[in-house]
Amino acid sequence: MIEMLRPQVSSFAGEIDSLIVMVTLIVGFWYLLTKGMFLYLLMAFRAKPGQKAQYITGKEKHLKKWVTIPHLVIILCDVVLVAGAVRVWYNVKQFMPEAEQTIRIVGQQWAWTFVHPGPDGELDTDDDIAMIDELHVQAGVTYHFMLESKDVLHDFSVPVFRLKQDAIPGRRILGWFKPEVAGEFDIQCAEMCGIGHGIMGAKLYVETPEQHAMWVNDNSLTEVAAATQTEVQR
Amino acid sequence: MTAARLLPFLLIASACGSAAGQGDARGPVVFADNCAPCHGYAGEGKPSIATPAIAGLPSWYVEAQLGKFRGGMRGAHVDDAPGLRMRPMARALDDEDVSRIAAHVGSMPVQTPDRSAVPHGDAEAGKALYATCTACHGPEGKGNEQLNAPPIAQLDDWYMVTQLHNFKHGLRGAADGDITGAQMRPMAMTLADDQAVADVVAYISTL
Repeated sequence: MIEMLRPQVSSFAGEIDSLIVMVTLIVGFWYLLTKGMFLYLLMAFRAKPGQKAQYITGKEKHLKKWVTIPHLVIILCDVVLVAGAVRVWYNVKQFMPEAEQTIRIVGQQWAWTFVHPGPDGELDTDDDIAMIDELHVQAGVTYHFMLESKDVLHDFSVPVFRLKQDAIPGRRILGWFKPEVAGEFDIQCAEMCGIGHGIMGAKLYVETPEQHAMWVNDNSLTEVAAATQTEVQR
Repeated sequence: MTAARLLPFLLIASACGSAAGQGDARGPVVFADNCAPCHGYAGEGKPSIATPAIAGLPSWYVEAQLGKFRGGMRGAHVDDAPGLRMRPMARALDDEDVSRIAAHVGSMPVQTPDRSAVPHGDAEAGKALYATCTACHGPEGKGNEQLNAPPIAQLDDWYMVTQLHNFKHGLRGAADGDITGAQMRPMAMTLADDQAVADVVAYISTL
C-alpha cells in the first residue's frame, strides 16, 4: 500500500511498511468504531419531548461489559502491535548481517560526504572514493555504514530504504542496509541542524553490478579520494 | 474580451514586470533572509563559525563566487567544511536573487577587518612575497575587475590565511571549470610554508 507512494528499495522496507499498515489498520478500526459509536449515541439519545435524562453509574454487570470487553480487546491489540514492532526492531536494528561492503557517511552543515570503498572493496585504503552529496551503492549487496557528524546533530534519512538514523557529533554509529532496486532516490537530513537544514539533501544511486563497477572504475584514484585518504590518515 | 476589460490585467502585469525589473529593491530583504544569519546583518562575518566579512565586496566578485558555489566549482571538496556549508545556501538562490544579493553586498560599507590572526607574521618579509600578488590584486590590494582579482586589503586576516591554505592544498581552485581559481592556485603555492603565508597576510593588513 505504502509502496504506491514511495518504492521499497531496501531489504527491510517491506517489513517496516507492513508494521505501519498494521498499526494504521488496528488503530484506524478502533478510531472509526468509537467515532461511529459516539455519533450513533448522539443521534439515538438526543433530546426528545417527554424523555427524561438518566444518570447511569455503569456499575451493573450488563453495563460494565461495554467497557471491560473492548478494554481487553484493545490490550490484545497492543500485544500484537508490540510483538510486531519488536520483531521489526530486532530484524532492522538489533540484527546485523555480515557486510559485503562498508561505507562511511559524514554529515555536516549542510552536506553529506560519502566515502565508498574503491576497487579493492576495502574502506580506508588509498583507492577510496569520496563524494559530496552522492551515495553510490550496488543492488543486492549488504552494506554496513559508519555514520558520523562533524558539527551538530543530523539525521541520515533515506525514505525509500525506510531508514532514518541520527548522526551525533563524537560518535560513530553503525548500521546496515541492503538495496534491492536500482534507481535514483533522495537522501535528506531529518534533524533540524541550522538554517540550511531544509536544503541538506543528497542523491542515492542504486546501481546494477555492471553500472557500479563502471562507476568505481571511473572514480577511483581521483584527487578527491586522495585528499580524503590524507585526512583519514591524519 | 475587449481591450477595456483587459486594461486592468495589463496594468497589473506591467506593475509586476517593473517591480521584478528593479532588481536590487529586494536586495536587503533577500540578504537578510539568506546571508545575514551567518555573515551578519552588516556583512561583518562571524569568525567563530568561519563565515567571512563580505560587506563592500564588489558585486561582480560576489556574483562570480556565488556562481562557483552553485556550479560545484567552490565548496566542492570534502575537507572544505565552511565551503560545504555555503554550497547549498548558494544553490537555494535563483539568478535574480544572486544579482540582488551581489548588488546589495557591493553597496554595504566595508567593516573594519580583524587583524588578530597572524601576530607572528612579519610584514617586512611579507612585502617581498606580496610582489607576486601585486600583478593582479594591485599594490594597495584593491583588486582589479579586468583580471577577476578581488580586493583583499579589506579581508580579515584569518580568512586570508584559510583561503591561501585552501588554494595551496586544492580545497579551492582545483575543481574543473574554476578558471580564476586555477590561476590563483599556483600563486598561493609560491608561499613556501605557514610562516610565508603569515608574513604576506601581515603585509596585506598594512595596506
